[in-house]
Amino acid sequence: MSFSRLEDRRLVTGAGRYVSDWHLPGQLYAAFLRADRAHARIVSMDVSQAQAMPEVHAVLTAEDTQRAGFRSLPCAAPIPGKGGAELIKPYRPVLAAEVVRFVGECVACVVAQTEEAAQNAVEAIVIEYDDLPVVIGAEAAIAPGAAQLHPNIPGNLAIEFETGDAQAVAAAFAKSAHIVRLDLHNQRVAGNPMEPKGCLVRHDAGTGDYFVHVCTQGTAGMRGQLVATTGIADEHVHVVAEDVGGGFGLRFNAYPEYSAVMLAARITGRPVRWVASRSEVFLSDEHARGVSSRGELALDAQGQFLAFRFDFLNDMGAYIAPTGPVVAVLSIRACLAGVYKVPAAVANVRLALTNSVPMAAYRGAGRPVISYMIERLVDQAAVELAIDPADLRRRNLIPAHAMPWPTANGLAYDSGDFPAVLEHALEVADWTGFEQRRTQSAAHGRLRGIGLASFVEATGGGAGPDEVEARFGGHGEITLFAVSHSHGQSHETAYAEILSAVLGLPRERFRLRNGDPAVRLAGNATGGSRTLHGVGSALRVLADDVIAKGRELAARALEVAAADIVFADGRYHIAGTDRSVTLDSLIEQHSGGAVHPLDTRSSARTGGTFPNGCHVAEVEIDPTTGVVEIVRFSAVDDAGTILNHTIVAGQMHGGITQGAGQVLGEHAICDRQSGQLLTGSFMDYPMPRAIMIHGLTLAEHPVPTPTNVLGAKGVGEAGVTGSLPALMNAILAALRTAGVTHFDMPATPARIWGAIEAARAGDARRFAYDRAQ
Amino acid sequence: MYEFSYVKPASLDEAAQLLANHDDAKPLSGGMTLIPTLKQRLAQPSHLIDIAALTELRGIEVTAGQLIIGAATRHIEVATSMTVRTALPALAALASTIGDPQVRNRGTLGGSVANNDPNADYPAAVLALGATVHTQRRAIAADDFFQGVFTTAIEEGELITRIAFPLPTRAAYAKFPHPASGFAMTGVFVAETGGRVRVAVTGAGPGVFRWREAEAALADRFAAESIEALVVDPSGLNADIHAPAEYRANLMKVLASRALRAILNSSEGAVA
Ligand SMILES: Cc1cc2nc3c(=O)[nH]c(=O)nc-3n(C[C@H](O)[C@H](O)[C@H](O)COP(=O)(O)OP(=O)(O)OC[C@H]3O[C@@H](n4cnc5c(N)ncnc54)[C@H](O)[C@@H]3O)c2cc1C
Repeated sequence: MSFSRLEDRRLVTGAGRYVSDWHLPGQLYAAFLRADRAHARIVSMDVSQAQAMPEVHAVLTAEDTQRAGFRSLPCAAPIPGKGGAELIKPYRPVLAAEVVRFVGECVACVVAQTEEAAQNAVEAIVIEYDDLPVVIGAEAAIAPGAAQLHPNIPGNLAIEFETGDAQAVAAAFAKSAHIVRLDLHNQRVAGNPMEPKGCLVRHDAGTGDYFVHVCTQGTAGMRGQLVATTGIADEHVHVVAEDVGGGFGLRFNAYPEYSAVMLAARITGRPVRWVASRSEVFLSDEHARGVSSRGELALDAQGQFLAFRFDFLNDMGAYIAPTGPVVAVLSIRACLAGVYKVPAAVANVRLALTNSVPMAAYRGAGRPVISYMIERLVDQAAVELAIDPADLRRRNLIPAHAMPWPTANGLAYDSGDFPAVLEHALEVADWTGFEQRRTQSAAHGRLRGIGLASFVEATGGGAGPDEVEARFGGHGEITLFAVSHSHGQSHETAYAEILSAVLGLPRERFRLRNGDPAVRLAGNATGGSRTLHGVGSALRVLADDVIAKGRELAARALEVAAADIVFADGRYHIAGTDRSVTLDSLIEQHSGGAVHPLDTRSSARTGGTFPNGCHVAEVEIDPTTGVVEIVRFSAVDDAGTILNHTIVAGQMHGGITQGAGQVLGEHAICDRQSGQLLTGSFMDYPMPRAIMIHGLTLAEHPVPTPTNVLGAKGVGEAGVTGSLPALMNAILAALRTAGVTHFDMPATPARIWGAIEAARAGDARRFAYDRAQ
Repeated sequence: MYEFSYVKPASLDEAAQLLANHDDAKPLSGGMTLIPTLKQRLAQPSHLIDIAALTELRGIEVTAGQLIIGAATRHIEVATSMTVRTALPALAALASTIGDPQVRNRGTLGGSVANNDPNADYPAAVLALGATVHTQRRAIAADDFFQGVFTTAIEEGELITRIAFPLPTRAAYAKFPHPASGFAMTGVFVAETGGRVRVAVTGAGPGVFRWREAEAALADRFAAESIEALVVDPSGLNADIHAPAEYRANLMKVLASRALRAILNSSEGAVA
């Protein structure tokens, strides 16, 4: 049986190795006592009963982590705040010391002979709390008189950013003919990777080394965070990982549990293992989005955009996760005015602390927040000005000849043909045939709507270079090492195909080892859709380096000067003769030693770039039940040069569907009074399903980027960045035909039905249904 | 999970004896509800008495105008049984909407009815069809069996052995699946049996209930229009993060109408 991806046989036959597949002799099991309330002072905690239980080896509390010299989990702001303000960092302990600040926060860690014994001991811990007032939602957090979460963060506001030119925007608004305003909420969601987070830690008392088997998106970043938290020297921390079952951003950061288990392994002298239950995933995996926003668009009398003004208020949860501020501000900054040639734009971004699980990166990492805001605002403008939404966009898109385009806040888009992508998408979607389809739907009592979104993505340049290494082993097998960790992105196939194409060796010869602690490389984690152009570029460099080394070997074999040799199709030729030697035979000839002369470590540093696209969604709504059906979805994307069409299609399918999940129902709801998570299981939290999108058509519209040698722009997140606004624009277009003028996600049947009923009754609030109450 | 002893009795008598001997013993049927409860540490039974393979609790047959299904019959068996599909197609169709294939391959009729989840599907059929729930001790009429959320007439140590469904002249079930769980956000079973119409609603209220206004309206005129003319008072219906009571009140009408259209537009009383 043949598989289109190199990793597929392993993964679909159950031969993948995830954290819970690792076992070490003598391992113990950890379990955590978690806060069962959202905000409370710990009055007393008695672990003596738990400690005395027969199979219990240790019960760790904040006292132990303090004694071990543990510090706050790290966080930082990627850019300075408004007026140079710094991020006020909340202190986030590994185990809560005096105060618990969200339901699910770790308070104590029990280590026992079995998982059951550990859980039993957790239940035997006696803890007394003194409840404090609970703050849920960012608006509540910054309201005057709100309870304060951290003593050093007045008003629960950790930092305020500003990007763009507020004065230029004010001037543009002053002379505008129309101003369109829209308030939107991008709800809190729970990512739920299929593999629950977990770790297995072995401590070697002799060397002081820790081997941390863990779910990760990149070992280097994970190690850095563990080092920052535990204070253990970098050279003693070894992160080990093979397969990772999904991440979406939620497997980037080092969760507090990992540091606690490291300490547990040291104290007990035994390997300690912990794998979260699905309930723990809901309660303690980082959540995402949770942004209240206001957008304003100023237009002239001809419908030309003059300026954008945005305000984003972020619910960061109880602490600031390392990736939290990055997600909150960098994508807004990078995509501030979207695909439009608007001369002025500004965004204000505030980070507020609330009594809920911290927020972090999640597929799209802020781009679905800004794309959603911009594209809904543009549609709103089209409605208010009675201009066809495609036409309004046409009038304002950055033309291809204007590339590279300097954005309103001083960045530059390197390449792209936004108008052509729009026209391509309208054609694929049969935009002009919509009215006929609407009539057909109406005959069945359905409301039909079409919506589009033109968007730009920003894929990461990374915080530093990406190193890669190739080792030439026996049987011609070439093992590759890189930091960026695959948690579903087909790295193995993509890397092998890049090298295979240049070196002329079959792709099956390449093996990927991502998280091997024996090979310490610098590099970025998987995130920001940057692996192909980051690591891929490094591999392209590596291929050239290997060819150069091989040329020396070929020169010796052919007894000519290296300068006389050319390499093509896996073969070194003496120019102008028929004498040659294959790379393969050189690999073979020189194998057998501890190191192979072709073993190579290379690196590349690539800049960020801007994938873009236009997605067109079409929905049908049953007004009697409020059920939304996605009947057509057309996505045209410029992901730059495409190396593997199947992988790209897979990423688009997943991303589009993930967006559909948030649009149609996902919502991590915390009770406003108690702060309890009301959607803590799959019985209450609707995950997107494969059958959710009908009539999905993808089309490529590649405009290679000059920012990296591959010309690739990245595709991991474009699906969700496009589908969120396109779907909601389609839903709102359908709802408008029933008199509904405003609607926030999620478009659950009950909320859609309520909005239609309210419009029918002429009273928008009558059926308004705030699910968080 | 907490620790428990697992016992697999060879007969119904032995199962009943085990339950009588151990105060904290619980019958285990398909385990689709009980096992997750144990994993969450929400229950701490001393013994699990596995009744899933007891021959006395299995089997599907039609006798004397009744469809009789053993309590340990799995959802998949009800959904695919030719006997059920011929005699009571609405019930086969209902069973095919329960959960997902894994759940249908394990979950059982008896377990579902004994559990009486307010959003479960089977209770609507049992009540609308006026079925009789048999235990090793007695026969209980559907109208007396369901007593509110997760509460039934079953007593300690009592086991559902089989359920006898009178065969209706026409029947259909319409379900609105919960977007997350797949259970019935609301489900309406309409049945006409021996000239009498019964309408049972699950999911909308605190436990399955008969919708008397709909029954009266349909007795007058067996048509979707009779339902559409009704006004449903949402007070007393369920309201939660997923939907307000008004929405469930609306679903009752929408689903009852669908069930009626399915009955009137097809020879088979399928799920709408
Ligand atoms: C993911 C998922 C989706 C589901 N979706 C649906 C759905 O769409 N619709 C729906 O209706 N249900 C749904 N269910 C529930 C499913 O139908 C269960 O199978 C059913 O509720 C319980 O049946 P069981 O045989 O698994 O019982 P068990 O879990 O074994 O037992 C349930 C309870 O009943 C008791 N019990 C079991 N058998 C007997 C008996 N013969 N006499 C007395 N007491 C007994 C047990 O002691 C226990 O208290 C779903 C479940 C899951 C996990």
